[in-house]
Amino acid sequence: MTNRRVLPVVGVALTSMLALSACVVQDAQSGAASGAGASGSLTIACGAMEDLCQKWTEAFTEASGIPTSFVRLSSGETVARLDSAKDSPEFDVWHGGPVDGYGAAVEKGLIEAYDSPSAADIPDKYKDPNHNWTGVYVGALGFCSNKAVLDKLGVEVPDSWEDLLAPKLKGQISTAHPSTSGTAFTTLWTQVSLRGGEDQGLDFMKKMHNNVLQYTKSGTAPGQIAGRGEVGVGLVFSHDCVKYQEQGMKDLVVSFPKEGTGYEVGGVALVKNSKNAEAAKKYIDWAISADAQNIGQTVGSYQVLTNPAAKVSDKMVDLKTVKLIDYDFAAASAAKPALTARFDEEIAAKPKE
Amino acid sequence: MSSAAPPRPAGAAPTRAPATTRTKVRQDPVTVIIVALVSLILFLLVLLPLGTVLARAFSPDGAAVLTGIFDTASHRAIIVNTLVLGIVVGTVGTVLGFFLAFVQARVDLPGKKILHLICLIPIVSPPFAVATSAITLFGRNGIISTQMLGQQWNIYGLSGLTLVLSLSFFPVAYMNMLGMLRNLDPAMEEAAASLGASPWTVFRSVTLPMLVPGFAASFLLLFVEAIADLANPLVIGGDFTVLASRAYIAVNGEYNTAAGSAYSLVLLVPALLVFLLQRYWASRSSAVTVTGKPTGRVRMVSALAARIPLGIVTAVLALFVVTIYATVIVGAFVNILGVDNTFTLKNFEYILSGIGNDAMIDTTVLALIATPIAGLLGMVVAWLVVVRLKASAGLMDFLGMLGLSVPGTVIGIGYLITYNKPLIIGRLQFLPALAGGSAVFGGALAIILVYVARSMPSGQRSGIASLQQVDKSIDEASTSLGASGLQTFTRVTLPLIRPAFIAGLTYAFARSMTTLSPIVFITTPRTKIMTSQILSEVDAGRFGNAFAFCTILIVIVMAVIGLTNVLVRDRSVTSQSRAGL
Repeated sequence: MTNRRVLPVVGVALTSMLALSACVVQDAQSGAASGAGASGSLTIACGAMEDLCQKWTEAFTEASGIPTSFVRLSSGETVARLDSAKDSPEFDVWHGGPVDGYGAAVEKGLIEAYDSPSAADIPDKYKDPNHNWTGVYVGALGFCSNKAVLDKLGVEVPDSWEDLLAPKLKGQISTAHPSTSGTAFTTLWTQVSLRGGEDQGLDFMKKMHNNVLQYTKSGTAPGQIAGRGEVGVGLVFSHDCVKYQEQGMKDLVVSFPKEGTGYEVGGVALVKNSKNAEAAKKYIDWAISADAQNIGQTVGSYQVLTNPAAKVSDKMVDLKTVKLIDYDFAAASAAKPALTARFDEEIAAKPKE
Repeated sequence: MSSAAPPRPAGAAPTRAPATTRTKVRQDPVTVIIVALVSLILFLLVLLPLGTVLARAFSPDGAAVLTGIFDTASHRAIIVNTLVLGIVVGTVGTVLGFFLAFVQARVDLPGKKILHLICLIPIVSPPFAVATSAITLFGRNGIISTQMLGQQWNIYGLSGLTLVLSLSFFPVAYMNMLGMLRNLDPAMEEAAASLGASPWTVFRSVTLPMLVPGFAASFLLLFVEAIADLANPLVIGGDFTVLASRAYIAVNGEYNTAAGSAYSLVLLVPALLVFLLQRYWASRSSAVTVTGKPTGRVRMVSALAARIPLGIVTAVLALFVVTIYATVIVGAFVNILGVDNTFTLKNFEYILSGIGNDAMIDTTVLALIATPIAGLLGMVVAWLVVVRLKASAGLMDFLGMLGLSVPGTVIGIGYLITYNKPLIIGRLQFLPALAGGSAVFGGALAIILVYVARSMPSGQRSGIASLQQVDKSIDEASTSLGASGLQTFTRVTLPLIRPAFIAGLTYAFARSMTTLSPIVFITTPRTKIMTSQILSEVDAGRFGNAFAFCTILIVIVMAVIGLTNVLVRDRSVTSQSRAGL
């Protein structure tokens, strides 16, 4: 039966023939024209929490009349998706999420510099000198502790990084993996800055490793893990801890390390090759404004706002009372790949003592 | 996808094969066209996206990972973890599925209809439901572990993953084994029994060996599902890093799709090995049991000494599954389960106030479109593999299975980089942009394709498992009586494998509704998908909202499956009792 051998060949031949016959379309080249809704409507890659993203886009549509939708994505996903479609990006603006991710996108040429007129109000330390991104909020890294769990363990609420090394806290600390989480990378870079070098920073993380229950993937997860009493202390941005307190995790308390702590700046940026650059710029102008920044506190997001005219809530951390380290975003962004690889190899994979 | 189906070339489609030849089954032009069509579909569904990703895996960044994969201790640990997880979950899930299927098919116990429903719950639940519920119940401050028993268990890691994944995936084994048990020809068992063998001896030396292909198929499916799963290692994996979660870290943490592709390439190796092993094994020991000839009656286990212990174990297992899902439902109606147990409707208010409505409708509609396509495609592929193709059967089987063997993240990235711009080769545009916000239908088509790619292989596997039991003479008889390949398939083969087909449909829908890892890369503003909404709720720590979402998702899937079974149910008594659905 030679037919057995013939069939696959015929199949493949037919396949390619059919493929050709079906799809001969004169070369339309770039699909820009086929994009339904490509004109006059905006799509935001949003790095904040879902409810905040929704409020932001709704409010902008109300203010401007421009239909706006969003997809909630982590920084890594945003970069991956932008990177995969450089010429014809599906997003026009990236809003929210720590700017070390924006740094990665700038390096890959995915972001277009835009010096928004309203960015003039924002202090320089919250802006990229080359106008690639503008900061819209600030979060300080803190300890999110479960008081009930700590009481049971006989441990005081920590107020120093060294406190996290207490033997009584074995398996009682939750933090994220710095590779997946901007929050956890902030923790790691904070140690590097505080201790004067990558080796010294990793050395501290190595000691803390013995007390860590698990490295979560999401940066905010440690706060809720602590809130449910799974661990004593979670390392998160303090506004996340406040959010969980408000949602009913009453045992949570926020504290800050006295040696100094790191912080994030959440950004907004124009996506390169946006098909709606004019509308996108309008969105960015608006996102920087005090009105837009004030939306966060209506949905329980109490980040410190970068616009001096924005409202201050007593649920926000007063950055004057917290000792912030000198956080070099450019250096952190540049060191990230090698440093997280070292963390993964030298710490996360190691057995605990 | 069907819109991409090309018109037939002129004159190539006689509907009747000449009835003069003996069994020239493979010359049948209709079959040739089917093979061509299926090849094209599989190529577009899986091979092309996968090829794009693999090309990226061999780019400099990816190659660096590939060459160093065995050099570092942490990489070796990840590979070992992945294999261990696959083997443990494959074994535990298959045993669990077989046990419950056996009880269902062969043991005389009350309440088996309810048991059947309980066994189906996990396939209709989104990936996070079990993990989230398990943490709430058995975590460090769990309701059962700590608040009731005063224990501190560490559920994070292999133990928790085994629990959660076995519980999530055992229904695959259950459905598979149930179909087989009901298809087994009782004549052999009767013969053994009448020769004086005890029920236990009959079970061990007659029944079990006939089920070997089913065991192999279940183990394979569970193995690849377990190692490809992303959601559970992220939620409950602890420090037990596996290749899928490492690939996720590479893409989402290190912004390195090349490294992610490289890890995924490594992930393919064990999946392929198991796949080949299973083919080899199953081909050596398949038992032809559906002969089309009249059969005897199945002997039920009726001895009290066997029924009581079996009943107790079954009851405990069923109670466990019910508890896990009751937690999801209760969790949807309280503030923070285990922390603040006050009754509230705010979880539902939150998701129904706008964030969830679109997602519910979009997800359901897209899954409904994908389901029949996936179900039929799975059966056609199975039929081609087992009955029609010889030399290329393995290749076809392999192509079909790829959609499931490849981790969802890889599929997602593959679709993203392949289909987010028009497919242009030379000066010809083959396809418009399918994925992403600016694509046709707002990217919905890509999501349907992913649904089909991910859910079709399970239908294919169960179809193959049940077709391997069908005597080839039935097919040949039909052909030699003048039926074309298509007629034989629809009139003879399909009715024979109806239970597998319905199982395939059911599973395809549930699978589509609950798939996550490829979807997170191709959701667009205009097509919101429930699982990715649930992910963001779990991510944000709002377990209550996640539970509410899961509850609604489960209700939708249950309703559609119930409706399917009413609509597709066969009126004839024999197939009804065999399908048991």
